[in-house]
Amino acid sequence: MSWYIIAALAAAVVCIAAFAFQFFKLLKMGVPEDLSDKGGDIGKAVAYSYTKAMMPQHKESAYLHLPTYAAGMIYHMGTFLSLALFLVIVILNFAGVEMPVVINSVIAALLFITSALGFAILIKRMVKEELKFISGADDYISNLLTTLFQLFSALYLIFPATGMLYFVCTALLFLWMPVGKIKHLLYFFFARYHLGYFYGWRGTWPE
Amino acid sequence: MKVLDKELKKKAINLLKNESDSKLITHLNACVRCGLCADSCMFYLAHKEPQYTPAAKVAMVSSLYRRYCTYAGKMAPALVNAKELDEEYAEKMVDMLFGGCTMCGRCVKHCSIGVDISYLVKKGREMLATMNMVPATLQSTVDAAVNTGNNMAIPVEEFTETIKWLESDLIDEMEDPEARIPLDETDKELFYTLNPREPKFFPLSISAMAKVFYAAKANWTLSSKYYDVTNYGYFNANNAEATIIAKNLYDEIHKLRGKKLILGECGHGSRANRWEGPNYLKKKYDFETLTAVELIGDYIRKGTITLDKSLNKQVCTIHDPCNLIRNGGMFKEIRFIVNSSVENLVEMDPYGNDNYCCGGGGGMLAMSEYNDRRLKIGKIKADQITATGAKIVITPCHNCVDQLLQINHTYKLGVRIMTISEIVADALVINNKTK
Repeated sequence: MSWYIIAALAAAVVCIAAFAFQFFKLLKMGVPEDLSDKGGDIGKAVAYSYTKAMMPQHKESAYLHLPTYAAGMIYHMGTFLSLALFLVIVILNFAGVEMPVVINSVIAALLFITSALGFAILIKRMVKEELKFISGADDYISNLLTTLFQLFSALYLIFPATGMLYFVCTALLFLWMPVGKIKHLLYFFFARYHLGYFYGWRGTWPE
Repeated sequence: MKVLDKELKKKAINLLKNESDSKLITHLNACVRCGLCADSCMFYLAHKEPQYTPAAKVAMVSSLYRRYCTYAGKMAPALVNAKELDEEYAEKMVDMLFGGCTMCGRCVKHCSIGVDISYLVKKGREMLATMNMVPATLQSTVDAAVNTGNNMAIPVEEFTETIKWLESDLIDEMEDPEARIPLDETDKELFYTLNPREPKFFPLSISAMAKVFYAAKANWTLSSKYYDVTNYGYFNANNAEATIIAKNLYDEIHKLRGKKLILGECGHGSRANRWEGPNYLKKKYDFETLTAVELIGDYIRKGTITLDKSLNKQVCTIHDPCNLIRNGGMFKEIRFIVNSSVENLVEMDPYGNDNYCCGGGGGMLAMSEYNDRRLKIGKIKADQITATGAKIVITPCHNCVDQLLQINHTYKLGVRIMTISEIVADALVINNKTK
């Protein structure tokens, strides 16, 4: 097995361990103790927080920015597809099996599109005044690494010779994930929970 | 520029290290700086300047968290957007977290992730309070409440005189010598509270609620010393001071052996007592706490009071106070009361949980240095009101009333601003007579 595949696998282990540590830490810490009398149904509000409250028609961040929202959603799908693909690639590598060319081509085409959207989001961040103001190195690194991860995944499917590029990029992404803002992969779910809990306690949600 | 005291700075940073629960650490780590929250913030909408985006305000606090509470931030701060807390940074925090956000929470609901932005802004304010950097204007309001028992420093004698005068008017209006505005009476069912702006500037608001109590034959009292429902300690984020203020009401209701604490029409006061109070005092309240809105709603629902909505014929609209609606769950209750009291209600767009803050929340009304900013963001509310065509704006919050009055004047809206008790009092039918 090549050194870069080992590096990517090692980075994946580090990444999973870091996220697992954070995950269990957050679970152990739990929700804030609230001594006021509860005003609503927390269970329903938390469920609402993960479902209806996430629908585009309920959030200005979605319905006022539909092109960006759509690009972001597709970009995220590309990331999850690339992560799943990494798992498949590693397993097939171990098994010495190759993916059918048709499947490779379809996935690659999808990932070319998602990575193009990733670059578009990155460019938007670089040129739009409001985004430039709130952005720092982490924002550019996270966006670039994730986009390159998708692009190199696509390239690797079509040109296996780019394997080193793909696995090195994957390793870097895995190492950066728990450090940079990509860690929202974990915190997003806890944030939605806390929001549902808060609005549920106050009787604001479900609407 | 004020020099930061090292010890106080350390204490402020330690606030970010609180790991007693996962809420703080979650929200500090969740923002992805997508910037899509900008259009949900009235400060950004009014000014179109990037520092007003909610994400920028989150970053003011989370950058410090990363710098002082994470390994990556300690080793490579530039890589992870970690910032140093120095004098210049602290001044910017004051300007943005006190003067650039009312903690209305509108952005929270619309955040693509679900970051509790106002909670983080409040945490930033707590840090500034720890470093004695609360704007002096806001601090003086808190000091007045701590030192005198009410935020306008109204002497007990002056308050008592006002109440006696209002009681005499009530007797005349009700044509009933038994009509009362009780003061300092013990063992009453309801311990009612006021925003000090009422005795100072809007005494007829007290009369309106007294009329509702009269119609409901309520067993109630006011305290002559501790009646202030507000708690600006919530806004200056000095939890020790907020606790002192909350304890005033807690102790007074016990002293007078009241059964229920009724929170007068004040958004943040309701929040500070109903939701935050027990947490400030670190104990569950052994009495029921209700907002005036809930009490009046209950009166209507049970038929304790009778209303004739034809007495309020003018077109009305509702301004939803953030701390009662979005952060207090009163959306349906307010509509139930208003729909029972007026013939013609037109909603603003947006309204309810999506409504814009009036611009006077978060302590903005107390901080005169931000007056221009406050009135500029108030234009959004002014446009909302104009679009409804309403002649009366109803809101159950005296802070909102104040800001709406100023908006009314500044943007020449020509509307009347009324509280819930005022609109209900105008629709009351007492002894088969309208009052």
